Amino acid sequence: MADSPIVSVRNLVKRYGGVVALDGMNLDAYEGTIHAVVGENGAGKSTLMKVLAGAVKPDAGSVLLGGVKVSMDSPAAARRHGVGIVYQELSLFPHRSVLANLFVNREPMRRGLVSTRAMEEESRDLINKLGLNVDVYRPLGQLSIGEQQLVELARVLLEEPRLLILDEPNSALNERETTRLFGVLQQLRARGATILYVSHRLEEVFAISDRVTVTRNGRDVLTKDRAALTMPEVIEGMIGVHQEDLFPAPAARPNFASPQRVIVEGLSAGELKDVHFTASSGEVVGLAGLEGSGVSTLLKALFGMQKAQAGGVTFPDSRGLPRSPTEAARRGVCLVPADRKRNGLMLDQSILFNISHVVVGALNVGFPLFRTRDAEARARRQIERLRIKTRSPHALANELSGGNQQKVVVGKWLEAAPKVMLLDDPTRGVDVGAKREIYALIRQMSAEGRIVIFSSTELPELVGLCDRILVLYRGRLVSELKGGDIDNRKLLHLVNTGEEPSEMRLQ
Amino acid sequence: MSEVDRSKPELNSPQSAAAPATARARRRIRLPDEIGVVAALVILMLFIGVAKPRFLNPINLFTILGNTTFQGMLSLGMVFLLAVGEIDLSVGWMFNFSAVISALLMAAGFNPWAATLIGVGFGALLGLVNGLLALVLRLPSIIITLGTFSMFEGLSLVINNGRAVNPPDAGSSFFALVSAKIFGLVPVVAVVFVFMTIILHFVLHRTRFGYRVQAVGSNREAALLAGIPNALVRLQTLVLMGAIAGLSGSLYVGFRGAIDPQEGSDFVLTVIAAVIIGGTPLSGGSGTVFGAVAGMLIIQVISSGIIFFGIDATWSTFVTGAVIIVAVVLDQLVKRQRARRLAGSADRL
Repeated sequence: MADSPIVSVRNLVKRYGGVVALDGMNLDAYEGTIHAVVGENGAGKSTLMKVLAGAVKPDAGSVLLGGVKVSMDSPAAARRHGVGIVYQELSLFPHRSVLANLFVNREPMRRGLVSTRAMEEESRDLINKLGLNVDVYRPLGQLSIGEQQLVELARVLLEEPRLLILDEPNSALNERETTRLFGVLQQLRARGATILYVSHRLEEVFAISDRVTVTRNGRDVLTKDRAALTMPEVIEGMIGVHQEDLFPAPAARPNFASPQRVIVEGLSAGELKDVHFTASSGEVVGLAGLEGSGVSTLLKALFGMQKAQAGGVTFPDSRGLPRSPTEAARRGVCLVPADRKRNGLMLDQSILFNISHVVVGALNVGFPLFRTRDAEARARRQIERLRIKTRSPHALANELSGGNQQKVVVGKWLEAAPKVMLLDDPTRGVDVGAKREIYALIRQMSAEGRIVIFSSTELPELVGLCDRILVLYRGRLVSELKGGDIDNRKLLHLVNTGEEPSEMRLQ
Repeated sequence: MSEVDRSKPELNSPQSAAAPATARARRRIRLPDEIGVVAALVILMLFIGVAKPRFLNPINLFTILGNTTFQGMLSLGMVFLLAVGEIDLSVGWMFNFSAVISALLMAAGFNPWAATLIGVGFGALLGLVNGLLALVLRLPSIIITLGTFSMFEGLSLVINNGRAVNPPDAGSSFFALVSAKIFGLVPVVAVVFVFMTIILHFVLHRTRFGYRVQAVGSNREAALLAGIPNALVRLQTLVLMGAIAGLSGSLYVGFRGAIDPQEGSDFVLTVIAAVIIGGTPLSGGSGTVFGAVAGMLIIQVISSGIIFFGIDATWSTFVTGAVIIVAVVLDQLVKRQRARRLAGSADRL
């Protein structure tokens, strides 16, 4: 490892309004290393990378490249300094060809004309190495997301940056593509390039990186060589507490005289095929599965948004599937959607307005008047109960942090006293503190006798919180894990392959 | 109608002492959404009045109010439509068609009061047609009503044979009352209009239906996922618009004693203009009934003020257009200001 870092970040500070994204961030990365930056959502890792790429101007602090202080005041300046970045969201032109996308704004010219042949020659090697077997004249939009991501990577690599930044580069790559990507990264490292690798998939971080920096709340909390680092250490650094403390104890099972049940029998809907299970009040039932596994379809079906082709469901009111979300809401079935900004909230309306969604908007009880005083009382009740941090019930939903926004979504349903709560990845994009509160809340709702079905894209969350986990794979219910059976590794394997880990089967 | 002292109850309710002063101040700024357009109206009237004092003569002012009545009523319904995220381009012909129907019924010897009621029902039916077409075909109401605009026009012209319908007056109490002026000054239809304004303001802000209208317009997807009966609310709003057009048309027959075949053909742009000048955003989610009335009055004040200055009346169309642009620009500036204030929180990671 070289003596002086090629890139050095000192005390970076960045605020967005009242939100602190970076709060004294430091980072040193050395030539010829792959340096991973990990952290929860909102830890500041993306902002840090945007500063390095010249897309965001810091409020304070400095960036040193090769020991010299530089100012990255535009993406072009960063590029001149040899910094290349592959963003999480693609920044490509879907209607233009792969080639055109590779040479945006620096098209090679021959005799005064843009030469596609020169483009092909310059890019052929790299494209092969990345295993990108596509017709380079095809419009980019026709490629799979994974291929598009490789194109984006190729575009940056063609500029031969000294410092390559990858912000969650493989979120859309499949396993084979990821392996190939890692191969390319290792070759680049061997040639002396420095790579900053941002991810929250810890297994991969451990597989590829030489050094790891853990960030939390806009600061770097821990930097170590990967070899000297353990997984629990990283997790603790990321969340700031021991993982066990994050989850409420699975309260001594309250013994309900007659537990309420949702019974799903042979349900087929969308990609779901013949799913059977029962969820009872007093337990937290987890749903695990990848995108397209049917988890969200199942929740949609239970909420009356997806028609069933076959099979049936019996709700506590001994009726079948609701035919519309309105019917679901009126029968005490609620859904907290995954994308709260688009589906859960009206951002340009007040908290008070949002919390009245269900009681005023969906139910038909009482006199058809909308009384501001009642709405305010509802809002204050939920603000107090869920500890929503806000200056007033009249504040706009927009002004709240992600965690508090999610609490508003939960609060609007609690006002209607639902019997069945469907939670679709409720902690997505929520900070750790709020996560812990949401876990406690889920546990409490369950203890109050509601039926809670909870899906999450973060497996540790399911393992920590649920009494029972149902694993869906390509529309089928492939496994049901209970109590002592629940562990991270097994669940990960099931979710990705639909099969039990092989050594388990041997036992 | 007095916008200025219209205060929402939450301002009067005891404020918790903990609320920071800034929050209270900010809320006070947010409340009177219509204050800008009302101020513009007053300034405009004073400006004309100083130059031509005759303009401020109550007789003239009430005539202006009377002239706004029929299109003004339509603008009340249009506020609901924009608030729910829909629009209705066929309002002018719903107005005309309903007026023709009730005028024909009156001419056929029906009791004019009953004919008016049927006119309202007929308008609601036309609104239902718009609504069902939009919902069943899953097309935006702007396209459906662009079609029904011509369909209603065509049917109306078929039924009245392209001629004005003149129901015989026959000394009915209906015609006497609708065209009357209280104290020889205030048109009865204007009083009806003012009542409707107050009621519809109340409906938009103080009823479950009004809440749902704003919720669906604010974020249709979130409304759906909260169990708000999305389609029903949109349908109801389009039917409300139709019923209002029916009422406006039937009263017009009583007011003028006849309905011309082309009356209403040019209403829609004025109506939408008034609603936008009043401050209801095209993007949906909120609306102001009082603002729409103020917008309608501004348009009327301009067109009658221009006559006072001896300028050719055709210029009023030009000025009205300019006012729309100015109003929308001002509205945008205000919104951008608000957005900037929220930028901090909206722009987080």
